[in-house]
Amino acid sequence: MRTRIVLVPAAAALVAAYAFLFAGAIPAGSAAAADGPEFVLQADPASPFVSFRIWVRTGSAHDPAGKEGLACLTGSLIGRGGTVARSYDEILQALFPMAAGYDVTIDREMTVLEGTVHKDHLGTYYELIRDALLAPAFREDDFARLQAEQVNTLRTRLRYGDDEELAKAVLTWVAFAGTSYAHPEEGLVQSVEKLAVEDVREFHGAHFTRDNIVVGLAGCFGDEFVARMRQDLARLPAGPAPAFVPPEPPKRAPGRRVFLIEKDTRATAISFGHPIAITRAADDFYPLMVANSWLGEHRSSAAHLYQVMRTARGLNYGDYSYIEYFDHGSRRQVPAPNHARHRQMFEVWIRPVTNANRHFALRQAVREVTRLVQTGLRPEELELTRNYLLNFSRNYATTESMRLGYALDDRFYGLPESHLDRLRSRLAAVEIEEVRGALRRHIRPGSIDIVMVTQDAEALKRALTADAFSPIRYASPASQAILEEDELIQEYPLGVAEENVVILPVESVFER
Amino acid sequence: MRAPALLTGFAVVAVAVLGTVAIPARSAAAPAGVFPYEHRTEVLPNGLKCILVKLDNPDLVAYVTVVRAGSRDEIEPGHTGFAHFFEHMMFRGTEQVSAEEYNRIHIEMGADDNAFTSEDVTAYHLVFSKEHLETVIATEADRFMNLSYGEPAFRTEALAILGEYNKSANDPDFQLEEKFLETAFDVHPYEHTVMGFLKDIEDMPNQYAYSLQFHDRFYRPGNCVVLVVGDIDYEATRALLEKHYRDWQPGAYRAERPVEPEQRGERTCHVAYAGASLPMLWMGYKAPAYAPDNREFAALRLAGELVFGETSPLYRELVLEQQTVESLGAGVRAHRDPNLFMIQAQPKRAADLAAVQARIEQAIAEAAATPVDATRLAAMKSNLRYSFLMRLNSTRATALSLVEIVQLTGGVEALDTWYATLDAVGPDDIRAAVARHLVPERRTVGTLTSAEVN
Repeated sequence: MRTRIVLVPAAAALVAAYAFLFAGAIPAGSAAAADGPEFVLQADPASPFVSFRIWVRTGSAHDPAGKEGLACLTGSLIGRGGTVARSYDEILQALFPMAAGYDVTIDREMTVLEGTVHKDHLGTYYELIRDALLAPAFREDDFARLQAEQVNTLRTRLRYGDDEELAKAVLTWVAFAGTSYAHPEEGLVQSVEKLAVEDVREFHGAHFTRDNIVVGLAGCFGDEFVARMRQDLARLPAGPAPAFVPPEPPKRAPGRRVFLIEKDTRATAISFGHPIAITRAADDFYPLMVANSWLGEHRSSAAHLYQVMRTARGLNYGDYSYIEYFDHGSRRQVPAPNHARHRQMFEVWIRPVTNANRHFALRQAVREVTRLVQTGLRPEELELTRNYLLNFSRNYATTESMRLGYALDDRFYGLPESHLDRLRSRLAAVEIEEVRGALRRHIRPGSIDIVMVTQDAEALKRALTADAFSPIRYASPASQAILEEDELIQEYPLGVAEENVVILPVESVFER
Repeated sequence: MRAPALLTGFAVVAVAVLGTVAIPARSAAAPAGVFPYEHRTEVLPNGLKCILVKLDNPDLVAYVTVVRAGSRDEIEPGHTGFAHFFEHMMFRGTEQVSAEEYNRIHIEMGADDNAFTSEDVTAYHLVFSKEHLETVIATEADRFMNLSYGEPAFRTEALAILGEYNKSANDPDFQLEEKFLETAFDVHPYEHTVMGFLKDIEDMPNQYAYSLQFHDRFYRPGNCVVLVVGDIDYEATRALLEKHYRDWQPGAYRAERPVEPEQRGERTCHVAYAGASLPMLWMGYKAPAYAPDNREFAALRLAGELVFGETSPLYRELVLEQQTVESLGAGVRAHRDPNLFMIQAQPKRAADLAAVQARIEQAIAEAAATPVDATRLAAMKSNLRYSFLMRLNSTRATALSLVEIVQLTGGVEALDTWYATLDAVGPDDIRAAVARHLVPERRTVGTLTSAEVN
């Protein structure tokens, strides 16, 4: 790619304030400037576009206790609210002829104001996105509109509209219970309902400071534009970054815990997993990435879980696994950048299975993970998966905005080099024993949290705690090999103790 | 952060009238036409059309097989959902390359491969490194020409289809869509979703013989278009396509699709949603089929945004000022047969459904009486122009941006006509199109409410 990366050097004194955010070494020249935020520039004069990703080092994990959802609402008001100079309607009118827009994405630890414009409109567009960052108005009418939307998302869309997203959100909620990572970005219903516009102003004042912001810019722009932007953004208020330490996962006794979300449903959505101790900054990440890809590469029909659960048995629409958070998996083929987290999970996503097969499907998936941890990969599996990842990773960042997003994530994790480059060299060097070791160190199938969105939860609880026989029924005769394996799966002991099964009415999730 | 529920069903062609704007400069030689990249169209002797687009983006190639068959072609009762079913079965192997071997090849290539089905098309797409181009052409040609699967594999995959249905079954949008289409259409296959009727999906395991017939009818060179986009050499690519596809035999099947009778009275339907959801109000007006030179269709395309979109006075009033409605949007659905102009709104309270509908009707009456402001129309045309260019931001996106015009017209040549048609639309064309088509006797009104939040 014809991209050059220029890191703007600046004073090192402020680095210390953020040092705890970096798992590894801080890259040279990565500190914030004394007179403005740090810039990450990926200039490409041949591009017809200019992409912005303005990263604020805050997110839903920074929500004050009792005000869960505040970071999200603040971001929404910046991305979809008015500025001091223009109402939101005037902003929409101004953006419309350009077919451009901007919005704010919120994750646990990242808030990113992002947008792309054709270079023909850079001047006009820049004034709009600049004002969104520097001079949001936080009008009462915008606040009321977006607060209502956020409450509605929690109360209806997340609970009822998509059982798979619900299962995933509840898994994080229970695995990080009691910590700042637990609640969804949208917060908790009662907390959001109680928020006032003054809360937003206060949060914004504390977090949207020049020392807490990294400006990413990619595409067709010149030095003059960067100078103008640096001058403008020097007007951001100064101030120390609010203290924040990524939470340790809560201590829990070994064993499998089950959370059954009771609702009327044709099929059962399942997610299970547990927090893991590493991120892409760790040496074990790349061996674990290979093992995970073999087990359940996102949306790959060639991965193992998909093959044995969907292709061979027709259990559902797909079965995948993850060692990094993957935002909106049902809508994306490759991961979106800027959802970087210092606390990650190993997570298995079993797409909805008929209620009659829910127990069997859970058993099969847990058994497969357990077998992988016990045996590791065979040499030919390692080779095939390594080659797959080396080739497939070319699809991770195919637009300039995505590449910019990855560069910001590199800084989040404190990587000394680009993750996209580094994974090529690291994957090439992964050895079979490293894979086995990483699996044993980091994946604990005996201590997973399991979330199932299902009906008749009491019956499932009885079946699970009794390790009851759970046969699968086929639409056509299955092969002898499959039938023989089914005999093992249908009696596979999950060993779930009765006190480790919780039934939650769907109306109760994401409430305080 | 999760986006609010998206308005569904706006399969519009987001295309542009190119003026003097800079194009995404990734092509060696930009042509004078609407599509800004150098491209060639080749037609093989068996009728297979291949569109080759050369981009400067290094290494990557996107390969799309557009099968011009979708749920529109499911004309026999009891057999809905089969176009989509083939999206699944096409990964089940051939006599030369088993499903396992096909998988292994794709793992080694690390291709980003997937497929999608809509009312008018099934499209299979891969993105890969150019070194794998011949492997891709060989395996794609093989599976389209020689797909071979036994009944056990067919029956197993039918369960995965049911699984796909099940994953959407609780979505209120999906529930209203099912009921709405069935109400709006009497005989045309547009009466069901692309997934098909649930009773047909449940019966799919028993329809092995029909599946073979469906493939035999539609997976033929005259009904398919291959797009090869990216870091390619024209001559070498053409030679490979000819080598691997030349034995594909043309078909003779001609579907006799039922013609939807003229609608002569308002229809209504309602979903009582079992969970919790904001209310929904959908108003669908019978609209003409897409044709690149149909100025009336182009006028409706523009009316969707100008009368109901984010920059419309109605949006400002209902969503931003009164805040009685959370989302509002509209657009004409571009299809090969007559479909719908859809207006979709989410009021915050069920008690407001009637008032919101009345306000929408008033906005239609105003648009049918008064031409839109010329400045807003100019902004809209600028938006279309840049929307098209903004989509061409990667090899994959560039390839997929062509699928819609290919599915609708069989090639990319009609883009120029379509852009010219859009550019010719004046304020009075929009007024006249609204007045003619957005009338009560041509519409279906669907509502969804739930007990918990109203």
